[in-house]
Amino acid sequence: MDIQRGNIIVMDRRTGKLRAGQGLLQGLKVVWDHWAASFRKNENFTQIRGNFTVEYPDERLQLPQAYRNMPVLLYDDESGHELCTGCYQCQRICPPQVIHITQAKDPVTGKMVPAATEFIIEYDACMSCGFCAEVCPFDSIKMDHVFELSTADHDSLTMRKAQLNRPISYYTSIAPDLWEGVKAGAMKKLQGNIKRRPGVIGMAPSLTEKIKARRQELAEAAAAAPPAAAPAAPAAPAGKLTPEEKAAKLAAMKAANAAKKAGGEAAPAEAPAAELSPADAKAAKLAAIKAANAAKKAGGEAAPAEAPAAELSPADAKAAKLAAIKAANAAKKAAEAAPAVAAPTTGNGTAAPTDEKAARLAAIKAANAAKKAAEQGNNE
Amino acid sequence: MIKTEELQINIGPQHPSTHGVFRMLVTVDGETITDLKPVFGYLHRNHEQIAEVNTYLQNMPYTDRLDYFNSMANNHAYAIAVEKLAGIEVPERAEYIRVLMVELTRVLNHAGALGFLINDMGAWQTQLAFGMREREKILDLFESASGARLMCNYFRFGGVVRDLPDDFMPRLKDLLVAMPAFIDELERLLRENEILLQRSEGIGILPRDLAIAYSVTGPVLRASGVAYDVRKAEPYSVYDRFDFDVPVGSVGDVYDRILVRIEEMRQSKRIIEQIIEQLPDAQGGHINPKARQNVRPPVGDVYARVESPKGELGFYLVSDGSTKPYRYKVRAPSFINLTPLGDMCRGYKVADVVVILGSIDIVMGEVDR
Amino acid sequence: MHDVVNQLINTTFGWGWPGWLISLISYLLIATLLFLIAPFQMLFLTYFERRAIARMQDRVGPNRVGPEGIFQPMADGVKMFTKEDIVPDSADKWIHLIAPCIVVAPTMFMFAVVPWGPGMVPVDLNIGLLFFFAISSVSAIGLMMAGWASNNKFALIGAMRAVAQMVSYEIPAVLSLLAIVLITGSLSIVDLINYQGGLFISTMDVASVPDFGLGWFIFTPVGFLAFIAFFIAALAEGERTPFDIPEADSEIVAGYMTEYSGMKFGLFYLAQYVLNFLLCAMTAIIFFGGWQGPGVGWLYSLAITPANPEGGWIFNVLSGALGVFYFLAKTYIFFFVMVWVRGAYARLRIDQLMDFGWKFLIPLTLVNIFGATIWVGLTRWGAAEGLAFVEGWSPIMRWAIAFVVTLALNLGTYLYLARIYAESQSERARMDDEVLERLTNVA
Repeated sequence: MDIQRGNIIVMDRRTGKLRAGQGLLQGLKVVWDHWAASFRKNENFTQIRGNFTVEYPDERLQLPQAYRNMPVLLYDDESGHELCTGCYQCQRICPPQVIHITQAKDPVTGKMVPAATEFIIEYDACMSCGFCAEVCPFDSIKMDHVFELSTADHDSLTMRKAQLNRPISYYTSIAPDLWEGVKAGAMKKLQGNIKRRPGVIGMAPSLTEKIKARRQELAEAAAAAPPAAAPAAPAAPAGKLTPEEKAAKLAAMKAANAAKKAGGEAAPAEAPAAELSPADAKAAKLAAIKAANAAKKAGGEAAPAEAPAAELSPADAKAAKLAAIKAANAAKKAAEAAPAVAAPTTGNGTAAPTDEKAARLAAIKAANAAKKAAEQGNNE
Repeated sequence: MIKTEELQINIGPQHPSTHGVFRMLVTVDGETITDLKPVFGYLHRNHEQIAEVNTYLQNMPYTDRLDYFNSMANNHAYAIAVEKLAGIEVPERAEYIRVLMVELTRVLNHAGALGFLINDMGAWQTQLAFGMREREKILDLFESASGARLMCNYFRFGGVVRDLPDDFMPRLKDLLVAMPAFIDELERLLRENEILLQRSEGIGILPRDLAIAYSVTGPVLRASGVAYDVRKAEPYSVYDRFDFDVPVGSVGDVYDRILVRIEEMRQSKRIIEQIIEQLPDAQGGHINPKARQNVRPPVGDVYARVESPKGELGFYLVSDGSTKPYRYKVRAPSFINLTPLGDMCRGYKVADVVVILGSIDIVMGEVDR
Repeated sequence: MHDVVNQLINTTFGWGWPGWLISLISYLLIATLLFLIAPFQMLFLTYFERRAIARMQDRVGPNRVGPEGIFQPMADGVKMFTKEDIVPDSADKWIHLIAPCIVVAPTMFMFAVVPWGPGMVPVDLNIGLLFFFAISSVSAIGLMMAGWASNNKFALIGAMRAVAQMVSYEIPAVLSLLAIVLITGSLSIVDLINYQGGLFISTMDVASVPDFGLGWFIFTPVGFLAFIAFFIAALAEGERTPFDIPEADSEIVAGYMTEYSGMKFGLFYLAQYVLNFLLCAMTAIIFFGGWQGPGVGWLYSLAITPANPEGGWIFNVLSGALGVFYFLAKTYIFFFVMVWVRGAYARLRIDQLMDFGWKFLIPLTLVNIFGATIWVGLTRWGAAEGLAFVEGWSPIMRWAIAFVVTLALNLGTYLYLARIYAESQSERARMDDEVLERLTNVA
């Protein structure tokens, strides 16, 4: 054969060399060298000796950002809306055809809505090729890093939408660079889609129930606020706590406890004790301060809890209570989320930042919700 | 010579060293083999038929599962076939990344194959463990680039799915420090070891003419003394820019196959070094942006081949103008290299069968498809 | 042990029991002790082997059960006990059941002649070496029974290989020991150890050498070559890599053990590891002085012995402890070498194994026996035996000359044999081609 560059080399078989066991001794030497070097760890790619074992459940390798295991669906932390619009791109490309989508419809008009009511991925047959994540025009479907999915129950591997949902904050914690690249476009598309989604359609299933309940509660509160406020206002100066105040205090205490639970490196949990009526100010403020103290204790560097006692109508007591409950829930959630999110990355020190981030996000959310509630209360 | 009663033994389909579910119907006279019939088909997964109902892109992850040891090489062959068929241009940088990945695959495959071969000879995993250690390092690199260790699914029509991550090159350079040390060590362990020489010299001789007649390719063919390498015979991708040698054997026995594989690892390392030099100057991105997901090649057929670590891997595609291949055929090197097994084993001992089988270096996923 | 029991019962308590009862009690005690030690050795050796070989492969090895995984063998044992015992339908059930017992029993007998320390030998047979190797070949019958009763082709091939291998490698093993026996003039293992006092030179060869317990046979050319031959034969006897052909897992699944499961399989395993332990112990005893080592001889000379009834009992304990320590340390080092070899090499083929045994090891050991006679002649004989010319030389001089002569003889033989053996191997490879030709023509 004609070779342009390089040569044809015939391998030297070293025949005719005396074979009296030197080769065997050489082999023993190599193995001995490995044995002698095995008492230290192998540190990097340049070494060919030393103990290579990664004792898996105790030690874990840092997974690369591009690592792909199983697809998950993202939703936006702030609005609770999913990025998925049910466009069927992933269902079409999926080589083993394990993705099944049901497009959402407007219950009133019956028109298609850019959201998916059901989204099923059969994890048991998924081949982890990553095509779904690649083709997704809304960057909604992403490849997860969790690989410990073993189960004795085969059916549990058919994942429904509620099980597939992950917040964007989770994805940024496992693949920050990859998300950074698509963030702007994805969020812009999401904002456009949210406008076209009526009601709770397109919200993460884990949140829809809560959101529904809260809306219901808000509506009730709005209806009940004016009559409730009337007796509350005169009672307050007398030093007696109204039921609302009691509830507010309780909620704040709950928030404090939750913050305490959030653990070692709790983030600056800003317990946003929202605008309070002058009558309730004392009690609520006390509770808020308590919450702040608790958070401080828990966090070490906890931010000062802002308890802006504003001068508002006594009708806001209800709203304050709601806000406090929200804060409590958020803090609780942070506490729960922290270990859950940290799980795949434990052992390499990334637990703390995710924890912090989640907690901060929860706090911000709580604050926003509280503000909104207060505004709504005002409007009513 | 005394003639004793012949005994038929089934080696496989469940046997520790048949590299998967492969069955050899062996007729032995004492310990000497008088006849051997390879029986395939236990791992048949309908690959080619499935490919004809999938779109072109959907087949890419399926090619990973052919020769699951070297998914990158399979990706490469398939990508080249579709690009030829659809006339897709590949940017220069993407070509370099592809060749880099495929050459790493070659090192990975040979490190593993030699380990498995020595294991079949009865070593207690040591050589395999060393090979696997180097393989793990390369797989780490693959993982950081493609997201998966084995089923890489990294190539796309017109390039690769994403560019190399930032930490790829430093780690690759670290790896290149270890690689010659590893190869030297392996050579010291294998090359003059008297036991290994006894087990491999003169065993499983595949004469040059027979090898050509059976259309054997890859290291097995080169060990038989034929300097045929697709990278040289029909340079694809950017292989014509690299300077590397083609090692050939002189006898065609198991020992020659070991030597050829060791030398091929060295040559792959040379290529990788040249890639590292040339990659920064390469033009274009990691993928041709014009290459879409839904490829619709014009009516026609194409045969594209690459030198996979196991031999010539070819894809034959017929397009009827739709998004799915009308016909899809794989020329699997493992399968074709396995056909002369009966001739290679006849006359040797039972213990040699597994060694000869190991020296061919098959992956049943590719044999049965 | 007999002495101790006698001392306790008849002297301390003054009961005055008859001698046969004392013997019976002491032997029962010893037997119980050894039966407890044997499985423990097996458990420890499996753990030791797995950890050591893992290190050679850049791994860690079992380290989960207990601190550093020391209870791993116990866990394996529990697993083995609780596993279902499967007997193939077409197997010969009784022989299938008896075979593992027949394999295990001889390995236990072999403990009878192994000395653990000074004066610590269960039975000091004057044909100890003969007994050891005679009994060790009994287990071949068990292997053959196992392979035949399983009614499995792989098991049958494995059993055939095992028997062929055991029978052929008895010969080089015994021939290599013959050289040592020529030098010591005794088949008793205790005498063999006593011979190995001194400092690189045995006190029996040169009386003026100080006794540090280091006059091992390994320091003589005859002993060294015998050691190499014996250790290789021991690897084959114990079915260790590179001679683990009977249970070659990559060829014939598990050889004669293929159809065994549960504790029957465990018994084969036990027999194999106990045999390996004993072979390592034998290597340590014959070529590395067994319990001999600095200090043991001196301590033992102060202890209560039949020769020295006035000694202190504390010296019995001390010399015994030190002797057992030396003995076990040497034994485990040899086991480590076995593991090391297993970590480094592939396996030979059965015909190559036979070739190696018959065409290389046996000629080598035969020449070594000749070397041993030269050694004996140059160091012991005098005018009475017809070697008048050595009379005038000093003992150290005679030793040195014997050393040089035997070294030259052995080294030359080794290199010569290695060369012609390699040539014969390439010759055999060509013969394979002829066989191929013949067989293809027939077909």
